[in-house]
Amino acid sequence: MEKKSDILLRNMIKNWVNRQRPPDSGRARLLWGAAHISNDKFDLAVIFPRPQFKSYPASSANEWPQTFFTWINENSIQLRIQARII
Amino acid sequence: MSNCPEQTEAISDSELALSLQAGSLEALGVLYDRHRGLVFRTALAITGDAEAAADLLHDIFLRLYRFAAHIDPQRPLEPWLYRMTTNLSYTWVKRRQRWFRPLEDVADWLAGARKDTPAYQAEMDDSWRQVQQAVSSLPLAHRGVVVLYYVNDLSLQEISDILEIPVGTVKSRLHYGRQALKQSLGLLAGEMMPELQYEFT
Repeated sequence: MEKKSDILLRNMIKNWVNRQRPPDSGRARLLWGAAHISNDKFDLAVIFPRPQFKSYPASSANEWPQTFFTWINENSIQLRIQARII
Repeated sequence: MSNCPEQTEAISDSELALSLQAGSLEALGVLYDRHRGLVFRTALAITGDAEAAADLLHDIFLRLYRFAAHIDPQRPLEPWLYRMTTNLSYTWVKRRQRWFRPLEDVADWLAGARKDTPAYQAEMDDSWRQVQQAVSSLPLAHRGVVVLYYVNDLSLQEISDILEIPVGTVKSRLHYGRQALKQSLGLLAGEMMPELQYEFT
C-alpha cells in the first residue's frame, strides 16, 4: 500500500502535468506532415528521373565543359517530359 | 474506416497499426487522438517544457507513421510509445543542457537585476513551478522512472521492460528520485507548501 506522502507526490506531479494540454492544432499539423511524407515517397521517383550517365571520353582535362553540356542536353529532354507528366 | 467516434473506439490498436502500415492517415489520426495524452504528459514531465512536449508529440507520431512497417501489430503499442517518448525526451534534455544551458546562464547573468523585481518573484512563487523545478532537477535516469511511475501509473515491471533496465535498478532510481522530490517539495517531515496543500484538499 502506498504511503500518504507517495499519494500526495503522485497527485502533485499529475496535477502539474495535467494543467497543460497538447495544442489543438497538433492533429492537423501531424496529418499534414504525414501526408507530406507519403507525397515525398511518391513524388520523388516521378520528379527526379535517374540520370543516365554515359562514359564520355575524357582524354584531356580541357574536354570537361563539352562533356558537361552534352550531359545537360541529353538529360534535359528527359526532365522536360517528366515535368509535363506531373 | 468510419468517422463515427463510437465506431473508431471499437477498433483495436493492432487493427489501426495494420491500417497504418497500409498508409492510412485516418488510422494515424485515431491513434493520435487515443494516445496523445500519454505521450504529451510523459514528454512534458521529462522535459519540463510544454513547447518541447508538443514538438516531441508531433515527432513521435510522425515516426510511428514513417516506421509503421517495423511495428509488430500483434504487440501492444503503448510500450513502443513510452519508449520512444522517454528516449526522445532524454535526447532533447541532453541537447538543451549542452547547447542552451550555458546561453541561459549568460542571459541570467546579463539580466541579473531582473531577479529582484516583484514580477520575477511572483513568477517564482508559483507553486507549480516549484513542482516542475523539483522534477527537472532530478538526474535524467531517475526522472524517467519517476515520471513513468507517478504520471503514467506503470508498474515496476512495466517500467523495466520499457526502459530495458533490471527491476532492481528501477526500484533504486525510484527510491532516490522519490526522496529527492520529497525533500525539494518539503514532504519529508510532513510539512507541505501551503499553496499546494490548498490545491489538494
